Amino acid sequence: MKRSKSVLALIVAVSMALGLAACTMPGDSDGAAATENTGDAANATDAADNTEASVSDASDITIAVVPKSLDNSIFLDSKTGAEKAAKDLGINLEWVGSAKSDASEQVTVIEGLIQKKVDGILISCNDADALKDVIDRAMDAGISVATFDSDSPESKRIFYAGTDNYAIGAEAAGYMKELLPDGGSVAILTGVLGAPNLEMRITGFQETLEGSNIECLPVMTGEDDVQKSVEVVNQFTAANSDLDAWFFVGGWPYFADPEALPEINTFMKNGGRVISIDTAYPMLQYLGLDMVDILIGQAYEEMGYIGVTTLYDAIQGKELDLPEDNYINTGSEVVTKDNWEEILAGKTPWE
Amino acid sequence: MKKEKPNTLPPEGALGDVGKGGGVRKRIVGSSTFGVAIILLALCIILTITTGDKFLSSENFLSVFRQFSFTAIMAIGVCLVIITGGIDLSLGSVYAFSGVMSGIAMHWWNLGTAGGLAVGALSGICFGFANGLFITKLQLPPFIATLGTMSIARGVAHGITGGYPISKLERGFKFIGQGYIAGIPAPIVLLVILAVITSFCLRKTILGRHIYAVGGNEEAARVSGVRVDRVKLFVYAFSGLMASIAGMATAARLGVAQSTAGDGMEMDAIAACIIGGASVTGGVGNILGPILGAAIMGVLKNGLVLLSISAYWQKAVMGAVIIIAVTADCMRNRKK
Repeated sequence: MKRSKSVLALIVAVSMALGLAACTMPGDSDGAAATENTGDAANATDAADNTEASVSDASDITIAVVPKSLDNSIFLDSKTGAEKAAKDLGINLEWVGSAKSDASEQVTVIEGLIQKKVDGILISCNDADALKDVIDRAMDAGISVATFDSDSPESKRIFYAGTDNYAIGAEAAGYMKELLPDGGSVAILTGVLGAPNLEMRITGFQETLEGSNIECLPVMTGEDDVQKSVEVVNQFTAANSDLDAWFFVGGWPYFADPEALPEINTFMKNGGRVISIDTAYPMLQYLGLDMVDILIGQAYEEMGYIGVTTLYDAIQGKELDLPEDNYINTGSEVVTKDNWEEILAGKTPWE
Repeated sequence: MKKEKPNTLPPEGALGDVGKGGGVRKRIVGSSTFGVAIILLALCIILTITTGDKFLSSENFLSVFRQFSFTAIMAIGVCLVIITGGIDLSLGSVYAFSGVMSGIAMHWWNLGTAGGLAVGALSGICFGFANGLFITKLQLPPFIATLGTMSIARGVAHGITGGYPISKLERGFKFIGQGYIAGIPAPIVLLVILAVITSFCLRKTILGRHIYAVGGNEEAARVSGVRVDRVKLFVYAFSGLMASIAGMATAARLGVAQSTAGDGMEMDAIAACIIGGASVTGGVGNILGPILGAAIMGVLKNGLVLLSISAYWQKAVMGAVIIIAVTADCMRNRKK
């Protein structure tokens, strides 16, 4: 009994130590720009009371960036951008979110940030409606809130920095028409069903192809998981010899090794076409390997950078010169076999 | 006072449990594993008819087999835990953590394929052993203990990688996931080897009998001299090891180790065991059952893709088919 008690005490002590370490350690292990975060939370409380137009000391300001989930690699570029902006401005940055892409978990995270009285929140919403209320509450509490990558347009957020998802879906459809001049069938791969940004891309793609000689097949999902995406694509491609093209609404399959996608390799060699959204660093190599025709990328690093710098201006009470509808279009980049090496050189390598 | 003799033998109906003479056929046909095999066969027939030769092509067949082999390996591990009457929710997290640790061993510590495999396997065993300790020494309910380690393993995996996937794995390591042995994908060969070894241990060794004994009646087993705590420590460590093997095989298959892998996969593995005939209360189960259960789920998923069923409806269809299949099997068992 005594031994059990001491073992229990040891476990509790270790758990507390782990928890303390997790809370105070910087979020990443790759030595990116130093981020002083929760250590300065006390100072952030003072800054948060400053809701008037007077300028606060930069080092007192804390902006929390909340991606859809911490387990989606596509946000790593926006983290890099956000950290760069924080370093340039001399402010504190917190990279925080739910472990999984779950709207209600994300709401809980925001509620925690409201309690902590951060100065600003930059969030990519898992669901536009589910996040609306908590965004409004944060704004009412004097916290400046903006969205990036995935918007909540009905909320009180100050601005949205991101891709026009409908437009890149339509852009992909335009390129698909060029790749399939004689028409054909296109399979669509998506991620988590119902995610507003993904749904907009699918809608943009399908609506642009309406009435054309290209048929869109029912949507397949990899649920934002790389392994599931690879299996679905491989199986569907192998089973449908008359398939003409694939449209990947997100580039999940291209996070894996080229050797894990033999069916795509064969598919393209037999004349199949593939257009994929996202131009993250590991994906660009596929252009050189002839395993994708066109990558349409979102400027994730730009989203993080512009999001943080514009939000900082808002916190400081500066006059914001925002475009129409308070939407900052961070644009898209189109990468093909002709320019992929040049684009690769300009990107920050992963590890 | 009557001293109850615990049932230390594998339960009636375990496939391959050869009795005397003509009773064999009756036993095989009557076993729940046979029922599951029938369900699988029926599914395959339906899919062959509805998809033409798409389902039955050797390429698709092997692809599906390889796809569910990872779940099946994990299911074999947790099957032993379920037979003892326990549960292990940390599987998916240990799966990811082990993949990540083996990736780190190869990519950062330059330990080579063997080093990667050793570090990954050790990671799984450690978490499994920790589960066993919490359950036996601290008397924590298995659900709670493994719920805790589920979070810890996932959290540590996220923490040490910062969310970045680990690529550039060793060629030899990747063979386990991407290679072929005599025309058969390596993960399938791995599954078969692990299944044979585990089945042998379960049915032919004293440890195996003790595992069933603990699940059948823990107190009676303890009173009969079975070292219940040691049996439990073993099964949880084994479950962790199987999860780590599945995790490393998946990382090998994709060529990248991710801290996000295997999310929710423990539910697939546990479902495979239950569909395959194991009982949540313990004492019942064999190794073929989880493999058939994983096969049913894998074939179903494949069928939904081949039939181009829209992703939005896939989960509903999957759930409905599983309920129908298991209900049919329960009704068949009740008739006996």
